[in-house]
Amino acid sequence: MLPALLLLLSGCASIPDAVRELDANAGRVELEDAPFFPQQRYQCGPAALTTVLTMSGASVSLPAIVDKVYLPEKSGSLQVELMAATRTSGRLPYVIDGTLSAVWNELAAGRAVVVLQNLGVAAIPRWHYAVVVGIDPQHGEVILRSGTDKRRITATKTFLRTWRRGEYWAIVVLRPEEMPANVDQGRYFEAIAALEQAGQLEEAAVAWQTALRVWPDSSAVLFGLGNVRFASGQFAEAEEFYRRLLARDERLLVARNNLALALARQQKFDAALAEISIALAQNSDAGLLSELEHTQETIRKMQADTK
Amino acid sequence: MMSFRARGFVVRLMSVALICMGFVQTSSAGMISTGYLIDNETRDASLARVEVLLARQDIERQLLAFGVDAEFVAERLRGMSNTELLALEGRLDTQLAGGDALAVIGTVFLVLLILELVGVTDIFKSI
Repeated sequence: MLPALLLLLSGCASIPDAVRELDANAGRVELEDAPFFPQQRYQCGPAALTTVLTMSGASVSLPAIVDKVYLPEKSGSLQVELMAATRTSGRLPYVIDGTLSAVWNELAAGRAVVVLQNLGVAAIPRWHYAVVVGIDPQHGEVILRSGTDKRRITATKTFLRTWRRGEYWAIVVLRPEEMPANVDQGRYFEAIAALEQAGQLEEAAVAWQTALRVWPDSSAVLFGLGNVRFASGQFAEAEEFYRRLLARDERLLVARNNLALALARQQKFDAALAEISIALAQNSDAGLLSELEHTQETIRKMQADTK
Repeated sequence: MMSFRARGFVVRLMSVALICMGFVQTSSAGMISTGYLIDNETRDASLARVEVLLARQDIERQLLAFGVDAEFVAERLRGMSNTELLALEGRLDTQLAGGDALAVIGTVFLVLLILELVGVTDIFKSI
């Protein structure tokens, strides 16, 4: 009976090879200088996040991060709040692939990785955030800053089981000028757009510039750069980016909408209204129509107000 | 839980109300966000904005209910993306929260101890 019970509780799913396997030439890696913030009761989330934020050079304190991510009535922290607090600390949170080799690649690039583990079992969970600071492939060990353990060594097998129950969730905290070791373009762009939305305009601008070096022809990157300039009140610079976009794709109406607004902000109302007219004539998207009309109205209002 | 149709109605109503109040006339009024292009959304952008606003209000209430100090709520919400706000709306109570909380009783404890000894779990190490 006991083996059956064990099987039931542990779940029968095994760890896929893609998650488990490292490159044959992947050696031992450990970030020995990674700081350590021993956690208070239930506060593994703030402790783990403070560790990686500090490593990335952000000036944060554990109590301040507690105020940003700890949920008293849940005795824990949500994944989304760790992401949010990373952004408001001026860093870019990026969800890496849930594989040991993705973790290894980040460590090799000098970045520790926050992981979500379930140290219990599915039926009796014990959700825990820890920071992976090392992998020793030869000895089959993973090295963590975890809870009150400064250097917790866990067998890779056990680590993978606890991580599987956390759905292989893992994030790194990037400085705006850094890119992840293995970058997924869509996920990376979304991450930067979220930083922009959080109002971290300078950091988002640097991140978009970093992306531009790799994807010089990407509409999303040019649009992001234009929008960051716009939101910072640099309307002439914003105009330039929107024009660059439209030179490549004249039917990108979202860019024309924002170009019109950037022109209006520079008191060039006639030019702005001309751009909106072009956009309205080209548009066939019902969702965008109300937006363009709203922009037109906004510009007319601005023009009337200055007279 | 509002029905989908009722919700759509409220969103439209608020959309009108907010525009009438001049609520959306902020410094970047009318600017289409970068996320719009990345997500390739074709939905009505102003409706989407109102949906996000409703989600934000819901999550604000939830954060307060889960014991967050009022003075920190705005800053915590600021960091969340629109996608995250919409995903979290109405679901905060069912989200898992990493924090080592554990409630174990009697025989369950014994089973856990065995699981630990055979290396299935890692639950009893001092965190």
